[in-house]
Amino acid sequence: MIDVKGISKKYLFKKVLKDVSFTVKKGEITCLIGVNGTGKSTTLKTITNLTPFNNGDILIDGISIKKKRSDNISFVPDHMTMPANMKIRQAFQFMKDFYPRWNEERAAELVDYMNIDVNQKIGALSKGNAAKVSLILGLSLNTDYVLLDEPFSGIDLFAKEKIRNLFSSHFIEGRGILLTTHEIEEVEHLLDRVVILNDGVIVKDFYTEQMRMEEGKSVIDQLREVYQG
Amino acid sequence: MKFELNNRDPIYLQVVMYFKQQIALGEISAGMEIPSRRELATMLNINPNTVQKAYKEMEDQKLIVTERNFPSKVTTNEEVLQKIRKDLIEEATVQYVETMKRIAISFDEVMDEVKKAYEKKGGKHD
Repeated sequence: MIDVKGISKKYLFKKVLKDVSFTVKKGEITCLIGVNGTGKSTTLKTITNLTPFNNGDILIDGISIKKKRSDNISFVPDHMTMPANMKIRQAFQFMKDFYPRWNEERAAELVDYMNIDVNQKIGALSKGNAAKVSLILGLSLNTDYVLLDEPFSGIDLFAKEKIRNLFSSHFIEGRGILLTTHEIEEVEHLLDRVVILNDGVIVKDFYTEQMRMEEGKSVIDQLREVYQG
Repeated sequence: MKFELNNRDPIYLQVVMYFKQQIALGEISAGMEIPSRRELATMLNINPNTVQKAYKEMEDQKLIVTERNFPSKVTTNEEVLQKIRKDLIEEATVQYVETMKRIAISFDEVMDEVKKAYEKKGGKHD
């Protein structure tokens, strides 16, 4: 379990995260939603140790990330991080050389699934294909947790469909998934749990099926209540 | 029949209802294998845990039978199959009657309307 416990973060004079607590469990898909600039990406970055936080703690399977940096989490950013002149297969080689958790067979399987030509250069990829490659890189690490920052942003319909299908595939099964998105309609039916962040504060945290059962509302209804009162 | 999810009711219950309708309509027959949990999740674009919950519910209601390591199958129990049909008819009827009562239509009027609607569809009503 990823246990985010009361983290706060200041950036210059602004508090960007205020006492944020939530958990991400294995075998569940949790979505952090909120309009732009509410702290979604910052939250992901604190969990992956890419940005420091001021108060609170984050435990990965019970161990504080302050004590030990966890390599049991993969992070799929919303932009390509590999150099443009690199070919995809060279990027895979790079991963193999530097990440002990790299799983070559899984990568090959994902390439097949995504229908990607590994001889293409990273810089020549369409937005949709770049997003697919980023996902292949992240999901091919043998990690229990995967963090995805805006996996649907700025890509075409068919790439979206393919990526949506990933969430019900064995590539995800058993892992703890945390994603951010502001395109909730893309994933509404795929989520186990929703955490709504507004202005650095968690305002709602619920299991979707339980919420539908008890309140008869959609996830978008919940979001509307937060932003439109 | 096309399966369209609404966003406000629990999805697992919508999945159970869909299977009941398909069984009542004869689209899915007794003893037929149903998709695996993951297959159905991908087909419907829904969470595999939700499908798991729907299948569990259908097992509890004895709609489907799962033997270890085999795909789940629709029950062949005639009693259960008849009950599905009965439940669906009853549910639709209750809903219809409630709507009619709300707009204060008498029983005779309702019967007239039902007859007319049946005739329009070319069905018999004796």
